[in-house]
Amino acid sequence: MIRVDALTAAAGGRTLVGGVTFALPAGQVLALVGPSGSGKTTIGRALLREHAPGVVLSGTVEVTGRVGYLPQHPASVLNPVRRVGGVLREIARQAARTTSAAGAAGTSGAGRRETPGRPVAHRPWLRSAGARRTREIAESLVVTALGQAALPGPAELARRFPHQLSGGQQQRLVLAQALLRSPSVIVADEPTTGQDPVTKHQITRLLRLLANQGMAVVLLTHDFDVVEEIADRIMVLGDGRVAEHGPAGEVLARPRHPHTRRLLAARPPARPDTGDVRTRPATARSWSAPAPDGPDRLAVAGLTARHRSAPVISDVSLRLPAGHCLAVLGRSGDGKTTLARCIAGLHRPAAGTVLLDGRPLAPALVRRSRAELARVQYVFQDAHASFDPHRPVAAQVSRTAVRLRGLGAGEAGREALALLDRLGLPAATTARRPGALSGGELRRAALARALLAAPDVLICDEITAGLDTVTQASVLDLLDELRRDGLALLLISHDMGVATRLADRVGVLSGGRLEPLDPSTDVTPRHPPSGGPAARRLRTSGSDAHAPGTHHKEDTS
Amino acid sequence: MIMHGYVVRRLSLGLAQIVLVTALVFALTEALPGDAAVVLAGDAPDPGRVARLRHELGLTGSAAERYTGWLLGVLRGDLGTSMIAGRPVAAFIAESGPPTAQLAAITLLLLVPLAVAGGVAAAVRPGRALDRVISGTSVALYAVPEFALAIVLGAVFALRLGWLPPTAIGAGGDLLADPAVLVLPVLVLLARPICSISRLVRGGMIDALGSGYAAHARRLGLAPRRVRWAHALPNAVTPAVQQLARTTDWLLGGVITVEAVFVVPGLGSALTGAVAARDVPVILALALLFAATTVTVNLLADIAAYRLAPRSDGAG
Repeated sequence: MIRVDALTAAAGGRTLVGGVTFALPAGQVLALVGPSGSGKTTIGRALLREHAPGVVLSGTVEVTGRVGYLPQHPASVLNPVRRVGGVLREIARQAARTTSAAGAAGTSGAGRRETPGRPVAHRPWLRSAGARRTREIAESLVVTALGQAALPGPAELARRFPHQLSGGQQQRLVLAQALLRSPSVIVADEPTTGQDPVTKHQITRLLRLLANQGMAVVLLTHDFDVVEEIADRIMVLGDGRVAEHGPAGEVLARPRHPHTRRLLAARPPARPDTGDVRTRPATARSWSAPAPDGPDRLAVAGLTARHRSAPVISDVSLRLPAGHCLAVLGRSGDGKTTLARCIAGLHRPAAGTVLLDGRPLAPALVRRSRAELARVQYVFQDAHASFDPHRPVAAQVSRTAVRLRGLGAGEAGREALALLDRLGLPAATTARRPGALSGGELRRAALARALLAAPDVLICDEITAGLDTVTQASVLDLLDELRRDGLALLLISHDMGVATRLADRVGVLSGGRLEPLDPSTDVTPRHPPSGGPAARRLRTSGSDAHAPGTHHKEDTS
Repeated sequence: MIMHGYVVRRLSLGLAQIVLVTALVFALTEALPGDAAVVLAGDAPDPGRVARLRHELGLTGSAAERYTGWLLGVLRGDLGTSMIAGRPVAAFIAESGPPTAQLAAITLLLLVPLAVAGGVAAAVRPGRALDRVISGTSVALYAVPEFALAIVLGAVFALRLGWLPPTAIGAGGDLLADPAVLVLPVLVLLARPICSISRLVRGGMIDALGSGYAAHARRLGLAPRRVRWAHALPNAVTPAVQQLARTTDWLLGGVITVEAVFVVPGLGSALTGAVAARDVPVILALALLFAATTVTVNLLADIAAYRLAPRSDGAG
C-alpha cells in the first residue's frame, strides 16, 4: 500500500526528515513515534503529497488508492461557518457520484467506455434518476460513516456547527469525513491527543478495525499505550532520522536504540482503570467542604453555565488553596472546558460566583482588573488557535510580561527566552512563527506565556496532550515545582495518569456535576506547600499508585 | 433568544441616535444665516413682509419650541408641510424617494456579484497577473472621486460620443421608464464601492483559501470550485458585508454629487434644494429618513455578520 524511499525534507537549511525508508502492506498499522519536532507530521503530510510552505521534499512516496487524513487539530480542518451535515453530505455526494458512475460503467458492459469517476449528473439523460440515486447513496454513506466513527446519527448532528462539538466529537467527525471516501490508507496524526479514555479507546479500536478491513494505517503518536494496543510495526524517529524500526512487540520489549529506551522510560505512570469514569461511585462528600489546608486561593460556589439554553454544568462548587492541584476529569462534552472558561471569565455563568482570595471575580473578563487577569491564567487546549499566526512565538510570549506585569520589552524578552528554553524551546525555534512549530512545541510556548504573567491560579486544559513522554515529564515537573511554590493548579484532563501524578484531588465532571472520583482518592492533601517530594506519592485505593513516573520525578528533584 | 434581545437593544439605541441626529441637524440649520421667510421674501426683502411671513410660517417661537413641535408631529405621523412649496413633506419624499431607491437598487444588484467575483478571481492566485490587474485597477479607480468620474464619463459618453443622455432631465420620477439615463449614474456609483468591497473579499478569500479547512476540503476530493465558493467564501465575506452596509447607506442617502451632475430628481437633490431654501421641515424629514436608514442597514449587516460567524457567541 505504501512505499517510501529515502524521503528527505528540508526547510531553510534545517533538515526535518533525513532519508526515511519504509514500506507498509495493507492491513497493518505502523506507528511513527518520536518527540515533537522529530519529523512525524512532515512524513505524514508527505504521504498526502503535501508539505508545509518552505519545505522541500525529495525521495519517492508511492501510495495505492486514496489517503484519509486525521490531523492533529481537528478544529483547524473543520469549516467554522458550515454546518456539520451539509459538509458531510457534500463529501458523500462527491463519493457517491463516482461510485454510481463506476457502477453504471460496470453494468453497461465492456462495450461502452466510460471515464471512471465521471459524475453521473454530467449526463443529462440520466440526471434526475442519477441525482436521486446519488442523494440516496450519499445519505446512507453519511449514516454509515457516522456510525463507524461512533458519532450520533445525522438527526442529532447535522444542524450543528463544528464549534458546538467537543474536541473528541470533532476528531471523530474528521474521521467520518475521511471514511466517506473509502480510503485505502489512513494517516492519523496524534488522533488520540486530548481525548478522554473512552474516546481514545474507541478511536484506537476503530483504527485497528479499519486495518483489519484491509486499510494501511500510519499512526503518528507519542502515546505508547496506543502504540502497544494496535501497532504492528514501530518506527522510532529522532531528529528526522530513523532510530529504530521493527515489529511492535520487539521494539517495545527489547528497545535497541538509547533514544527508544529514553522515550519508553519516561512513560507516564501506568494508568488506573478508567474505562468509564461515569461508573465510579460518587460519594456524599461535597466539593464545597472546607479545604482542610489554609484559606482558599480560588473558590467556586454554585456555578451553573449554559450554552445557549442547553445546560452544561450545574451547581458546581470547588475550593482550591494555594499550592494545591485539583484535576477535573470527564468525558468530552461534559463541560470541563466550560467550567474552566467560567473561572477564567471567558464564559458568563448563569449562576454562581468565582472567588479569588475570597473576593468575587467579575463574570466577564473585560470587567476584571489587570492584576486579576494576571493572577488567573489559562493554557488553552488548542495551542495553535491561541497564537497569532503572523508574529514570532517568542514575541507573543514575552508580551504577557509587558502587558500584565509592566516589564520593559527587553527584560520581558529575556525572561521569556529563559523560560522557553527551560521548557525545551531554544531561541532559534521560538523566533519563528507559530505555523513553523509543532503542536507539542506550541503547547509549551502557551504554557510559558501563561507563566510569564506570574499567576496565582493556573488553569491548564489538556496541558500534556500531544507531548512526547520525555517532554510531558519535564512539563509536569515544572508544574509540580510551581505548585510547591504556591501556585494553585486547576488541571483539566482526560488523562488519569497526569491527574494522579500531579493532583491532590481528582474530580469527575459528569452530567454537569462535579463529584470526587473516589473517596480514597480524594485524600486530604498530604503535604503543605513546603513539603518534600517524598511526601507526594498518592495513596489511591488502587494498587498501581507507585508508578514509574513518580520515581522519575524524585530523581530530578 | 440572545439574538432577539440584541435586536431590541440595538433598535432602542438606534431610536435614540435618530432623535439625536435630527436635533443636531435642526441646531445646524438654526445656525445658518437667514431662514425660509428671508428666502421667500426674495431679492429685496421688506422687513415688514419678512416678519409677516415668519408669523405665517410659524417661525416666531423659540428654537426649542419649534423642534419639540416638529418631534411631536412626527410621533403623530405628521412630517409637517414644506415652507416653500406649501405641500406636505410626505408627498415631497414620496416623489424624490423612488429615483434614489431605483439607482441604489440597480447599483446594489450589480455591485454584489461583480465585487464578489472580482475579489474571488483575484484571490485564487494572489500576486499573479489576474490579481495584479484587478488589484491595480481597483486601487486606481478608488482614487478617483465621484464628481470627477461623473464629469469625465458625462463628457465622453454623453457629450462627445452622444451614446447616452447626459442628464436625467425629462425622465421624471420613474427612471426605469428610460433605462438609458441610468447607465452613467450607476457606473459612477459602482466605481468606488466595487473597489473597496472586492478588496475586502480578496483579503478574506486569501486567508480562507490558505486555511486548514480549505486544504482539508480539497483533500476530501471536493472540486476546487466548490471549495472556493461553498467553503472559503462564507468565511471571507464577513468584512465585506459590513462595508456593503456602509455602501447601501451611502446610496440610499442619495449621492448628492452624482444626483447633481446627472440632474436626478432624487433625495440628494431634494436635500440640497431644501437646505438652500432653509426649508426646515423637509431638511428634518430627510435627516430622519437617512438616520433611520443608517440604523436599519447597519443592524441588518451586523445580524448577517453574526450569522456568517456562528462562533461569535452572544452578540453583545
